[in-house]
Amino acid sequence: MATPLHSSSPSVARQAPVAAWRRARSDQVLVMVLLLAIWQGLSLAFGTYWIGSPWGVTTRLVSGVANGDIPRHASYTLLEATAGFLIGALPAVALPFALRRLPILTAILDPFMMGGYGAPKLALAPLFILWFGIGIESKIALVAITVFFIVYFSAQAGVRALDARLVQMAQVMGANERDVARHIILPGAVAYIFTGFRIAMPYSIGGAVIAELISANRGLGYLIQLGAMNFDTTAVFVALTATTGIVFLGNWTLDVLERRLLRWRPRTNLDIEAGS
Amino acid sequence: MAGAPVLEVRGLSKRFADRAGREPASWVIKDLSFAVDEGEFLTIIGPSGSGKTTLLNVLAQIETASAGELFFQSRTTPVDDAKSLKPGLSCRIGYVTQEDNLLPWRTTLQNVLFPLLVQRRLDSETRARAQSLIRAVGLSGFENHYPHELSGGMRKRASLIRTLVYDPPVILMDEPFGALDAQTRAQLQEDLLRLWSLGRKTIVFVTHDIAEAIALGDRTLVLSRSPATLAGEHTNPIPRPRDIRGIMTHPQFAALYQRIRGEVQ
Repeated sequence: MATPLHSSSPSVARQAPVAAWRRARSDQVLVMVLLLAIWQGLSLAFGTYWIGSPWGVTTRLVSGVANGDIPRHASYTLLEATAGFLIGALPAVALPFALRRLPILTAILDPFMMGGYGAPKLALAPLFILWFGIGIESKIALVAITVFFIVYFSAQAGVRALDARLVQMAQVMGANERDVARHIILPGAVAYIFTGFRIAMPYSIGGAVIAELISANRGLGYLIQLGAMNFDTTAVFVALTATTGIVFLGNWTLDVLERRLLRWRPRTNLDIEAGS
Repeated sequence: MAGAPVLEVRGLSKRFADRAGREPASWVIKDLSFAVDEGEFLTIIGPSGSGKTTLLNVLAQIETASAGELFFQSRTTPVDDAKSLKPGLSCRIGYVTQEDNLLPWRTTLQNVLFPLLVQRRLDSETRARAQSLIRAVGLSGFENHYPHELSGGMRKRASLIRTLVYDPPVILMDEPFGALDAQTRAQLQEDLLRLWSLGRKTIVFVTHDIAEAIALGDRTLVLSRSPATLAGEHTNPIPRPRDIRGIMTHPQFAALYQRIRGEVQ
């Protein structure tokens, strides 16, 4: 009788990655210390007027979080990014599925989609502010359109990567079109869709911040703009740090979701070493 | 079992559409006719590349034929037009392919239940049937494993019972045990014969292994090298129940083996 691959050596398989994981973490701390030292050095060399010191940024960040300023602005940016992400990503996932049986329509749309993908969406920010005003709508619109094109092409790649033999098997067993879409194509495309999500996520936050830079009275982009106008580089660095924090939060959320949805996949050494 | 054959092909021919700038494609199957009786275990043997898989694909209605007729329970069913093909003929023809084709995102149990799910036949009775099949092929304890966590032999078992679970009257098998080691293969052949003797399905089993064709079949068809035509037909005199591992020592094995080998080019 054959044995499953996994039960062969569970203890050996588990110990090595733990050591590798620890090693990676300690090395990451080293790199961070090095980067902070460089930052501190630059700050000393040019003066805190041009480059706020790491310590100054940290204290300002802590007080900003404590008095509720940073959370208020960050949650506003996060709201814009999340709403825009959902509004952009959902149709971007649905469209390749709808177009699957319509190759001619897909071919007609393709160059326009490619154009939309290639166009610098951030340059649309002023236009959207003209159209949708300086409120939250223009930011959401910019994020949504940025996310849409990225996710559309990765979802399309997922639909195209379909294994025709799995579909034939399902059809022989009596599956109809909807069963095939739901049980074969969608699960098969999840990994591709998540690749798109991963690329689009920082763009969604970046898009929200850039739209705020141009015109807003709230959000992390507004804080950056305000700091720059006051020649307060420390404030700019504080807002940038908070923005990076949101990106980390978004990435972590995607990690958790992806691990849940793709738990059927064989784990690679890379996954294990990354601590997932 | 006498009476009308359950599955019959007449004058079946197949060649793939020729591509622009190429010579017209050659025939893969040419004027092939045979019938399968109810409850019969038919083995088909032919050299590699003799169009065996194509033949099963046509029988399973996932590929068209260029000419010929296909009868299921004496009713003809169109085979020449991709649009009117009915894959699996409304769940009446099951197909165990060469690759296991398990859905990697479903566990063993979910894979076995999949046909019942899409046929809207999931209930306590069919679930119990799935569980008993899982036990019968020794997959108990692996119900919640994903395909990549199973060995090749276990994946074959799962793929086999995934078709048995919805009980199609005819089952096509395309070298299902081809890529396995001799030990696992003998085990699976025994499992298959045991399951078959319980339900007496009609089975069309394609293989390139003469010993396997003799060990399993009531009757063996020999296909010629491409294009596939009928090169020979042998009724298997070895009585059941058979001892798979000792089949080669059966007095009638050698003669049958020699006759078939003479026809397999």
